[in-house]
Amino acid sequence: MDDVSRIACVRVEAFAAAALERCEPSLREQPLAVVVGTPPAGRVVEANARARAEGVRRGLTDAEAVLRCPSLVRRPASREAEAAARHALLEACSSVSPRVEDAAAGIVHVDLGGLGGLFGGDDEIGRRLRRQARAVGLDARVGIGTSRAAAEVAARIGPSVHVLGRATQRAALAGVPLATLEWPDELSATFARWGLVTLGDLAALPRHGVGLRLGPRGLAAHDRAAGVDRAPFRPWSAPPFWEEAQGLDWEVATLPALVPVLQGVLERLCARLVRAHLVVDGLEVRLALASGGHHARALAPAVPLDDVAPLVTLLALEIESHPPPTAVTGVAVSARVVARRAVPGGLWRPPVPAPRDLAAVLARLTRLVGSANVGTPVVADSHRPDHHTLAPFGGGDGETDGPAARRHGDEDAGTTDDSAARDPSHGAAGRLALRRLRPPRRVEVDTEDGRPRRVRDTLGIDAVVELCAGPWRSSGDWWNTAAWARDEWDVELSDRTVWRLAQDRLTHAWFLDAVYD
Amino acid sequence: MLVDRLLRQGAMTELVGPLSSGRTSVLTLCLRTITRRGALAALVDVDHAFDPASAAEAGVDLRRLLWVRSEGRRRDALRAVDLLARCPGFTLVALDVGESPPRLSLGAAFRLRQAARRSRIALLVVGSRRVIGGAATLSVQTRRERLAWIGPGLSCRRLGGMRTGLQVVRAQGAPASLGSRRLWWTT
Repeated sequence: MDDVSRIACVRVEAFAAAALERCEPSLREQPLAVVVGTPPAGRVVEANARARAEGVRRGLTDAEAVLRCPSLVRRPASREAEAAARHALLEACSSVSPRVEDAAAGIVHVDLGGLGGLFGGDDEIGRRLRRQARAVGLDARVGIGTSRAAAEVAARIGPSVHVLGRATQRAALAGVPLATLEWPDELSATFARWGLVTLGDLAALPRHGVGLRLGPRGLAAHDRAAGVDRAPFRPWSAPPFWEEAQGLDWEVATLPALVPVLQGVLERLCARLVRAHLVVDGLEVRLALASGGHHARALAPAVPLDDVAPLVTLLALEIESHPPPTAVTGVAVSARVVARRAVPGGLWRPPVPAPRDLAAVLARLTRLVGSANVGTPVVADSHRPDHHTLAPFGGGDGETDGPAARRHGDEDAGTTDDSAARDPSHGAAGRLALRRLRPPRRVEVDTEDGRPRRVRDTLGIDAVVELCAGPWRSSGDWWNTAAWARDEWDVELSDRTVWRLAQDRLTHAWFLDAVYD
Repeated sequence: MLVDRLLRQGAMTELVGPLSSGRTSVLTLCLRTITRRGALAALVDVDHAFDPASAAEAGVDLRRLLWVRSEGRRRDALRAVDLLARCPGFTLVALDVGESPPRLSLGAAFRLRQAARRSRIALLVVGSRRVIGGAATLSVQTRRERLAWIGPGLSCRRLGGMRTGLQVVRAQGAPASLGSRRLWWTT
């Protein structure tokens, strides 16, 4: 709308080619044409600056393009690379302003309202936008004006950061040739027939009359020439999933050959995340196979990361453990992200391992003892004895002290005295711990009046029960096939050990479940 | 506090005692104190004997505890401790070697001690007998002194608690104030 004071247009020229150059930076030094269709019927749809300097234009056939530029590198258009580059440009601009609009492939409108106090003048903001775009691998031009239409024209002419002053904007636009902008072929022909040469010529025509003769497209063209925005600003917000992809012209059959490709993809992805102040919490890699299928693997780093090296290592280890069945022809990596923490920890909190070190140690531990044996224990919400799971270790994110901490207190050593002897709960150092036997050890138990009197097994235990307390009866899951029911006893054996003895009430078998220690 | 006397940054402490002597309760007490301070602890469990439920009841903040189970493979457990001891940021790395552990070679024990010293990590080895010998800065023996059964005679109704005695058997540059000490544990 007209009431938006300052708008920047960030534009990447020859966007399809720029997206491919972003995936293969070496292409920037060569004339590149993006082609569609299978040779020899392929046609050029876009060319980079070096190729255009050699005369390669959109619409040329493959053969014509090579004739004009023998060293031309041709690449098929990659929809994945363009989508990733489009997102990357939007995210780069989002790091400067929270209000950005996805106008078209390679064109982003940025609302500059209120940014002056943060970054300085329009020139400085324009340079910042260019830097952010370059950081994600795209060379952009920036135009700044009072409307999106004016800013888009400014992004096509003049210096790489072109600021149109409020007072001089109309005059500056008036002198711009119509051919600078892209128009539908019919409109271009009509403008030529009417003798219009510059945007000023078109803007000088009465808008109503243009609308009567050319319809809605004519009205839109008139607004564009006059630098007037009629459509509302449609803010873009970052998607919850972040993706990068790269198609390969060759087949990759070994992991060492695949790692550099993964590294390139992850470098681009992490560069985007850094701009958006996000870190990777989960990765999914999808390998396109030569057989036509896909091979997908998921990865959850122990801690959120944005370092490329450990992510590449973790991904390579995952693929090494679960290799694709055939050669790979494409790589797509999508990330689940979380916001980066502002500070690593509280000022008064004890130090914690650096995320990179922790991730590396956890990966090595997982390799050593298996993923099922490393993690943080989580007690399940169940009455079933010894029911727990292992969750990925996250470094103890959360509050330092909760109600539990206040309840238990921090005193750690209650010493005994006579009062403690009379009342064990008085001045106690803590709770008596259990050592579990996994699986519980099967034993033979002699009973007397239903109470255990002697415990023995084939592994050497043969002891008299000195004292026992119980039974404590519990059961659960009786509504499904995992039903369980048991009686538990605390027993002190004649060898001075204290056990938790359990009898399965379904099978009547006795087990040593745990030892008090 | 007892835990601060037992554990020292960059040093190895050994806690030995037979079953039902209270050594696991002392280990749990150390884990509770460390995690309640907001620090991270790691437990390498050779025999898969750690009980998360009783530890949580004892006040251990399980979110700050890394549990590594080696399923009886002592060599893997030692490697895991070696890895953790070289990761600065953990305040306590505990190794529960379980019952009848083999004695560590002198080289392996001093290698662990050196790693702990460089990372300033407190290393605690818990077992039924001493395994790290001279590499331990402090060795403490636990013994059961008393059981408290609640209820009369053979018809007692429940186990009320246990009293553990601690005795220093080796102290190399460690504070001697630990002396001998008694701890009560409740169920």
